[in-house]
Amino acid sequence: MTLIGAYAVVAPTITSLQLNAGAIAPEMAVLIALLACLVVDLAGEGVASRWVPPICYAGLLSALVLLALQWDAPLEPSFLGSFLADNLAVAFRAVVAGSTLLSLLISWRYVESSGTPVGEYAAILLAATLGAMFLCGSTDLISIFISLETLSVSSYLLSGYMKRDARSAEAALKYLLVGSAAAAVFLYGASLLYGLTGGGTGLDAVALALKTSETPVTALALVFVLATVAFKIAAVPFHQWTPDVYEGSPTPVVAFLSVGSKAAGFALALRLLVGCFDSFETQWKLLFTVLAILSMTLGNVVALAQTSMKRMLAYSSIGQAGFVMIGLVCGTEDGFSAMVLYMAAYLFMNLGAFACIILFSLRTGSDRISDYAGLYQKDPLITLGLSLCLLSLGGIPPMLGFFGKIYLFFAGWADHQYLLVVVGLITSVVSIYYYISVIKMMVVKEPQEASDAVKSYPDITWSVAGMPSLRTALVACVLITAVGGVLSNPLFNWASATVAGTPMLQRAIASALPVALG
Amino acid sequence: MSIASTAQFICFAALSITLVVGALGVVLLPNIVYSAFLLGGVFLSVAGLYLLLNASFVAAAQVLVYVGAVNVLILFAIMLVNKKENLAAIPGLALRRVLSGAVCAGLFALLLRVDLTTSWALPGPEPLGDEATLRIGEHLFSDYLLPFELASVLLLMSMIGAIVLARRDVLVSDVITGEPVDQGLIEKERIPLLLDRSALESSLLEKTP
Amino acid sequence: MLSLLLLIPFGGALLLALWPGNPAQGRMRTITLVVLGLQLAWSLVVLARFDPGNSAMQLQESLGWVGSLGLDYRLGIDGLSLPLVLINGALTLVSAICTRDIDKRPRFYFALLMVISGAVNGAFLAENLLLFFLFYELELIPLWALISIWGGTNRAYAATKFLIFTAVSGMLILGAFLGLALFTGNADFSLAPITSEQLSMGSQLLLLGALLIGFGIKIPLFPFHNWLPDAHTQASTPVSVLLAGVLLKLGTYGLLRFCLGLFPEAWVQLAPALAIWAAISVLFGSLAAIAQKDMKRMVAYSSVGHMGYILLASAAATPVAMLGAVFQMVSHGLISALLFLLVGIVYRKTGTRDLAVLHGLLNPERGLPFTGSLMILGVMASAGMPGMAGFISEFLVFRGSISAFPLATLLSMVGSGLTAVYFLLLVNRAFFGRLAVTAITDPVVHGRLDVNLAAVAPRETIPAMALAIGVVVIGLLPAGLGRLSETAATAMVQLPALTAALHGVALPSGGLG
Repeated sequence: MTLIGAYAVVAPTITSLQLNAGAIAPEMAVLIALLACLVVDLAGEGVASRWVPPICYAGLLSALVLLALQWDAPLEPSFLGSFLADNLAVAFRAVVAGSTLLSLLISWRYVESSGTPVGEYAAILLAATLGAMFLCGSTDLISIFISLETLSVSSYLLSGYMKRDARSAEAALKYLLVGSAAAAVFLYGASLLYGLTGGGTGLDAVALALKTSETPVTALALVFVLATVAFKIAAVPFHQWTPDVYEGSPTPVVAFLSVGSKAAGFALALRLLVGCFDSFETQWKLLFTVLAILSMTLGNVVALAQTSMKRMLAYSSIGQAGFVMIGLVCGTEDGFSAMVLYMAAYLFMNLGAFACIILFSLRTGSDRISDYAGLYQKDPLITLGLSLCLLSLGGIPPMLGFFGKIYLFFAGWADHQYLLVVVGLITSVVSIYYYISVIKMMVVKEPQEASDAVKSYPDITWSVAGMPSLRTALVACVLITAVGGVLSNPLFNWASATVAGTPMLQRAIASALPVALG
Repeated sequence: MSIASTAQFICFAALSITLVVGALGVVLLPNIVYSAFLLGGVFLSVAGLYLLLNASFVAAAQVLVYVGAVNVLILFAIMLVNKKENLAAIPGLALRRVLSGAVCAGLFALLLRVDLTTSWALPGPEPLGDEATLRIGEHLFSDYLLPFELASVLLLMSMIGAIVLARRDVLVSDVITGEPVDQGLIEKERIPLLLDRSALESSLLEKTP
Repeated sequence: MLSLLLLIPFGGALLLALWPGNPAQGRMRTITLVVLGLQLAWSLVVLARFDPGNSAMQLQESLGWVGSLGLDYRLGIDGLSLPLVLINGALTLVSAICTRDIDKRPRFYFALLMVISGAVNGAFLAENLLLFFLFYELELIPLWALISIWGGTNRAYAATKFLIFTAVSGMLILGAFLGLALFTGNADFSLAPITSEQLSMGSQLLLLGALLIGFGIKIPLFPFHNWLPDAHTQASTPVSVLLAGVLLKLGTYGLLRFCLGLFPEAWVQLAPALAIWAAISVLFGSLAAIAQKDMKRMVAYSSVGHMGYILLASAAATPVAMLGAVFQMVSHGLISALLFLLVGIVYRKTGTRDLAVLHGLLNPERGLPFTGSLMILGVMASAGMPGMAGFISEFLVFRGSISAFPLATLLSMVGSGLTAVYFLLLVNRAFFGRLAVTAITDPVVHGRLDVNLAAVAPRETIPAMALAIGVVVIGLLPAGLGRLSETAATAMVQLPALTAALHGVALPSGGLG
């Protein structure tokens, strides 16, 4: 009897509620591109390598356009509370889609010259994008978990994509094992939260339940959820997978993982911690302060000792994530906008750096830092591009990264996070040192000191298919990194509009304000 | 205590003991085949627990998916690669075991503490019994529509990924340039710089006597 | 108006970078000279437009840049920055002129030179703390590249050391700026409204301390000077000229503008300690210079000593002392540039800078008589002989400080006397005496001392001549520069808070907030 009654109550609500499916139109564009890639791939490798790139560009560009149309749109929860296209989601989805677009542009030649099928590669990368984009906007635990898994499973596949290479296989296996453990931990935490709400999975319900009950279970759930988030953004001590996975995965995949996947992780962190665990603010902020300090210190210090470019960038990305966490810990308007801004800046500078090292490894087959010695003579483009991107990562003016980093420190200081800012300042000096040593290799070493790889450097040609797109991505990233800093005001405005157009963040800021004044 | 609740308690105890002992066996037994079979037992006991909780659909799904598919797959995999292999001894294994044991014990203690200090009388929805299937279907097509649809992408991708990893047809040449390829990373493996030197020195040492 | 001082060098660098084809080194040098000449000419135009009677920032330009950071593009010039801008224009031109034969990558070299010049101009003109920091950091990488590409044999070490020291100094300065702006609630970093009085003395001292160490590294002052001798010895002559003449002035400029200007209260508290620090720095620099065998190292250590005077003067913070500080910045810029140029000529001709090897270079037949004469002039100026720039500045500094800190001033005077000692040692060893008859070969130094030194072409000494004339002119006619900076120097120490603190009048709390 009760069941029929409940059914009678539920049924009309279902029919009367709007799905608002328009919110996921950008994802639909990506999905269509994904399916089109798979279909085209059936026609053989030659056809695929001809048609897959334009399909992907079309899908991702239309996704970006659709995202732009969603900007500042009236907020309506879609899919009955599973998804919310607020400005935060739009911004992070744009970062994810942009990172996929750029990673794909720099991928084609790499994938072709390793002899792996292009169609499946693009399809899996698009699926990862899909997962990451959904993750940015998901507002219930089930959606979060499924999109997290879509992202993760695709990432495992991508890191093992060069399957004949033992390092790639090792990377995939490590990533799979650690990632599955993290997913299991998340599921455990989510099930505890589900229990606390008494049968709801929406983040709103969870937040409400957490406010009313402060049992040890909630603390446990917080720790579990936080561990997953920390795993996704590779915060120390949840970072151990990063160096091996970054070293063993195909380089364009690393480019995507270091930006797209990380951006999704930060969006998830914002949704869960700021939107959901706001009653445990002091606890998670303390934990994240510790994580940020450890990440900045360990990431930047260990990066000093690396001899492989990919490993160095892996550790540097751990350090960079530490910087971004400063913004997260602040929880102020400036803090959140600084996070968004830095992620956008990181997109261009990091992918620019990856475009350069992919180009270098395509030409020499090496990613050893010492092999870059004397490169300025043979390849000025890589030298210039990589130097600018690394300087930007190190926070040297007038690059884009300088403005992003200053903004983070500014926000941190304004929120009295002195320890974090001081550690950030010190570690950015350290980071300047190792970025400069790469530049020193390329720029300062004379022709007679050049490495063997550089001495036998091939003639520069751009005629092979896949190279022009690589060049486009490289030049675009480097240009934005170099000039974007000077013209960064629109980017700043965009970042603060992101925060202003996100009710969840506004609530957090409003609730934090009296504390700051008192 | 009524007969029903006594029976329920006895079932719960039996299932739990099977579950815990089976799970310990899965991780502790050296023979992997035993582990696989025990895993099946664990899955079945979990299904039994679901039944006790009046969740017959989940129990059925558990049996079908985990016992019927996953566990059988694991057994197949084990049998396909049934090779006796002497693994290299890991240095400091005892210490590692102690450490991981300590971590697990700590986690267990934490869980126990949480378990004992929490008042579990949380409000929850009434169990629906056999009508749960209906309700699950309803959820899947209403408020869980998005994850449900996304799961199809996830499954599709897993399938494609499995095919990509498993298939044998290898491209022997670059489709565009026609150069030979090896499906490995472009960055070729090299002897690390530090090893280079020691190798050089050892070869020198060999020459001297 | 002022923006052109940035646009000319940056545009020049861009022009040179994009110049089509592969032009000869001479062509690039000519382009650079034209650009830097334009820059100098434009700074003279600025000088003509400048009203010396006005102590406020003049010729201001303002443009919103990054609103949410409080980073505005605001330029302005006053009597403190104008002489430094002029020095920058002149010395960059000099160092481009004396770059005759760099062996590699001229395009990159000259472009970097112009970038540095523009960045230094920007730092001197910036009216926004973050803008200053931006330009301060901007000059870091180009200078690192100049040292590490065109330096001596041990250049990698020296360049890295320079980089790390300066990066640390930059971070300290940034931290202090952030702290100052946010503690006081002035989230826009513009120079004008920031006052530190509303802060507690503890936080004022903390921020001031960070700034002092930051700028102390750059100046450099005693315990933080370690990078300077290495950087100088490894850098090529033009880079040394630039480093000593212009880049060290960033530190002293920051000391005056930001430490003294923004923290008057805390400054007064620290002033006695700072005066002692200055004296220690002066004495250490002078004593260390005496012990040097390498001419360039000796000149480098003399910089450590002479920059101490500026700290002493700013610690005293009397109008006369401040004027002395400005004079000292200008005259040290000219004199040390002159000395580095001459040491460079000696090194090029003889192949060594070792004072144990060099001897009798003043020989009119086979030696370097003209260079030697200029060297004697430069040394005299540095030691503070009357009639030259060094005398005016040292006199003003000591005159202004002695009433406030007699002990420290006396010690500094001893240091000034020691300057005469070590430079006489230098001149005596290297230039006087008999030029060796037989060739000296020393395995330690590269090359050997040829007994028949090639004649120094007049064009090689023209820049040195010009600098020497500048030194003498300022020494004989100090009134021009004095008029330019007097108002600003006086205004600087007549901040209400500073005056109040100096005269023991309690300031009404929060009166300026």
